[in-house]
Amino acid sequence: MNIAEELAGHPFCAAMTSEQQAKLANCARQQSFRKGEFLLLQNSQAEAFFLIVEGQVEIKVAQVSPGEAPLETLGAGEAVGWSWYLPPYRWHFDAVACQPTRVIAFDADCLRSLMAKDHDVGYAVTSRLLEVVAQRLQATRLQLSDVYGAA
Amino acid sequence: MVPESQIGVSPVPYRITAMRPELESGEIVTWRLQPLESALPRFQPGQFNVIYPPGADEFPGLIGGDPESDEVMHTLRSIKPADASARVLQVGDVIGLRGPFGSPWPIQQARGKDLVLVAGGMGLTSLRSILCHAMRHRDYFRKVYLLYGTRDPMNILYRDDVIAWERRPHLHVQVTVDRGGAAWRGNVGVVTKLVDRAPFDPAEAIAFVCGPEIMMRFSVLALQKHGVSDERIYLLMERQMKCVIDSGDKRPPNLPEAGPIFRFDQVEHFFSVREP
Repeated sequence: MNIAEELAGHPFCAAMTSEQQAKLANCARQQSFRKGEFLLLQNSQAEAFFLIVEGQVEIKVAQVSPGEAPLETLGAGEAVGWSWYLPPYRWHFDAVACQPTRVIAFDADCLRSLMAKDHDVGYAVTSRLLEVVAQRLQATRLQLSDVYGAA
Repeated sequence: MVPESQIGVSPVPYRITAMRPELESGEIVTWRLQPLESALPRFQPGQFNVIYPPGADEFPGLIGGDPESDEVMHTLRSIKPADASARVLQVGDVIGLRGPFGSPWPIQQARGKDLVLVAGGMGLTSLRSILCHAMRHRDYFRKVYLLYGTRDPMNILYRDDVIAWERRPHLHVQVTVDRGGAAWRGNVGVVTKLVDRAPFDPAEAIAFVCGPEIMMRFSVLALQKHGVSDERIYLLMERQMKCVIDSGDKRPPNLPEAGPIFRFDQVEHFFSVREP
């Protein structure tokens, strides 16, 4: 499957036109990570944005406690990272592949330039990204509220 | 079998044949029970019994066992008032059971469809009996999806069963925890994310949801977003259940008027009521 086909089949791009998907494809490449390999490292420059096609990724906070328990796991159809979108463009968390993982990786500079030049693409990406952020915030609130108690 | 005229009237004696702590903390215990003489009528998944521990108040308990077995299984949280007694009960002791009561999960409607079971915490108890049923009758459903969320890996109920279910090809089992430890290699996050990822066909799916209200509310949103229509979503509203003894009804005490299982559109209004 080529990158345009993979983008077309990914939920993040589902509401976008094929023209918008084609423009995004110019900033994207297919990439694979082995189990244990980092997609992004806390405090490093946020140079990419990832859409998971296959596999699983753990989001972790580094240097919090021994063992770095994951905050969340992300799977196929989900997006990884939004720090590439906001200055100072540095990752706030670690993301590590906990299974062999295949992604669509966007070059952050290319994507930001495209979004600045083409506001339709910019709006489509921003609104989708906002949806992802809102879902994560909602999920985090639920996780923190300890809805289950003990079991 | 208990005579029909006596069903639900008097407690029927059952002996505790096994007692297993579900969590290391001992807060939750599963009892396996066999009738001393006459057995209660077979329950349907989703129903409950009223449990009479000797010397303590009765309380309702969802039935989690195999609906086609005479053995009755109850998984109980030890913080209920009667549990002061429940904790000291031993294997071999006799308790009373009255039931089964309540509306069951509409399993017949799920025949030939994808059956999506969304469980949160103790909510797995009621859905466990459906899994027992599905394993006996694997051809009844297209595929069964168990999406189970709980607080952390230490709070996974029926751990051995979950491992066994994961190995069954016709069951799609996904577990997630709100807080994973360093050793946990499974999903971390809310159970609604499992709904997003599960590859069921929303047009051919029926969903049964059981857990805390807030978890059910967000699970319904995820199911709706996935394309499951409201009339195919059922919820177990155990915590909203009131007994008819409170309403002055003349039926036997504690026999529920309706429920505890409802179609989502019948109880939607509960989810917009603010807690006092």
